Amino acid sequence: MNRKQTVPLLVIAIGAAAAAMLPLIWAGISALRPSAEIFRYLSPLSIHTFVPTQVTFENVIALWNGPFARAMLNSAVVTAITVLLGLVICSMAAFALAALNYRGRGVVFAAMIVSFLIPFDSIAVPLAQVFRDLNLQNSYAGLILPGIGNGLAVFLLRQFFLGIPRELAEAAMVDGLGWFGIFTRIYLPLSKPALIGAGLILFVFQWQAYLWPLLIAPDPDYHVASVAIASFAGQYDVDYGQMFGGAVFTALLPMAVLLVFQRYFIASFATTGSKD
Amino acid sequence: MMTALSTTRTTEAASKAVPAPTPRRTLSEGMVAAIFLAPAVIAVLVLRIWPTGLALWQSIHVGSAGTFGLANYTFLFSDPSFHDALSATLLFALIVNPFQIACALGLALVLHRALPAGALWRTLILLPVAVPQSVSAIIMGVVFRPDGPANALLATIGLPAQGFLTTPDQALYTIILIVSWIGVGYWMTFLLAGLKEIPFALYEAAVIDGATAWQQFRYITLPQLRRPLTFVLVADTVANFLVFAPVQILTKGGPQGSTNLIMNDIYTRGFLSGDVRGAAAETGILVGIVVIVVAIQFRMMTGGKSE
Repeated sequence: MNRKQTVPLLVIAIGAAAAAMLPLIWAGISALRPSAEIFRYLSPLSIHTFVPTQVTFENVIALWNGPFARAMLNSAVVTAITVLLGLVICSMAAFALAALNYRGRGVVFAAMIVSFLIPFDSIAVPLAQVFRDLNLQNSYAGLILPGIGNGLAVFLLRQFFLGIPRELAEAAMVDGLGWFGIFTRIYLPLSKPALIGAGLILFVFQWQAYLWPLLIAPDPDYHVASVAIASFAGQYDVDYGQMFGGAVFTALLPMAVLLVFQRYFIASFATTGSKD
Repeated sequence: MMTALSTTRTTEAASKAVPAPTPRRTLSEGMVAAIFLAPAVIAVLVLRIWPTGLALWQSIHVGSAGTFGLANYTFLFSDPSFHDALSATLLFALIVNPFQIACALGLALVLHRALPAGALWRTLILLPVAVPQSVSAIIMGVVFRPDGPANALLATIGLPAQGFLTTPDQALYTIILIVSWIGVGYWMTFLLAGLKEIPFALYEAAVIDGATAWQQFRYITLPQLRRPLTFVLVADTVANFLVFAPVQILTKGGPQGSTNLIMNDIYTRGFLSGDVRGAAAETGILVGIVVIVVAIQFRMMTGGKSE
């Protein structure tokens, strides 16, 4: 590629990166300003749009002393349990769909993936009725359960398990290992990349959930972070400093996870999207 | 029944005759599979099949006497607010999907080239993918306030201020920009993975034949990218049928119903107005549309080996 092409392409790449990051950076900086300053230096745009004249941690301190702290904790607990339980359930199902031979396996696989591919949000309103009948509203169980079965996670793990040769299982069986042992001692340890990929899918689903927590956990004690920050915006006198602080903190954890595990994330994309 | 039972026995007997079996292997593989599948199957039944069935059941319930019929559907289709929701959703889908895919493809092509610090730009564009929809709605909602940074930027380059979310003819397009902030980076990642799979030799051969950059794109990149592109088109379409957080947080479907996308309409109908059967019928329609799209998606994820 010659120089003449590189420059405009680089400009596009940098422009897109700036468009992606500037709203977040602006929100983060606004959280560190006195609330009165947030809209003051916008027009005309100047250096002070992005550089505060005065840095204050008042908003952040008030935020963590308010109901947001509880919501963050709820999000963390709900997401952590979802990922653990979800990995157990999805990897067990994937094992049954990849390593074991029985009649009707293909049908079970198709039925399971297609049902899970029905996007969760589309049936969230009727499911909320079911959960209220089961008395699961305003509870951790109510928040966690919908996240534990994930079709994409099952699909990803199954694709990976299919690549593990059956001879390994047969050899282990000669050594006296049962199917459960084969699952926990051979398949799981060999599948770390797929487990991380599936864990990321479960994590992102649960951390960004909004409609479901709104429906099933209206009690502020069970608010998760995504709902708590939206309730800032719903107030008559919006505290923009705290709202931006909450928004940035809610975005930071998944962004950090994505940064660390980027490789696995992209690999899982390739599995679901482009492979034959 | 007898035949099925005896077949199982024969398979078991046959597998016992194979050299590998051990005394510990008491259950057939089918039984083991049933145990391993049980939690996921229960999850599917409770979390997907039950609510879908419930919605369909409620949607054909008419009147207080518990008779059945399609009155909920006919009522829905005669309700002007449902018409508005449906047309807003279709207009939204017609614009947002090509827009996001064009941007995603363009960026994927740019980032696929060996640019200085290419990995950095790719990571920065990908990062908003991790931002929850409600967070993006909150931040972008302020960005597009009439006195917010978007208008400040327009003023700086000498353009008049816009109403964005506050005017009926701009609100839907502003929602499109807001969801695309997250969407473009997400779908770009699939296409970037697809571009990496294209053999470089194809381009080398094309260069030797004197193909222009456009010809290379048209006759190599596009056909080779057909699979991930179709996947992205389908998955993006499904995702955009379900956009909810930005609408519920920022506009509540307004102004004048211009952003009342179908998920927001179901939520308002079923949860705020208490019209459970109307919401059930609307859910039935949404699930019907989505199942068709999802069935295509499943075929693309698994099939195609014969091609």
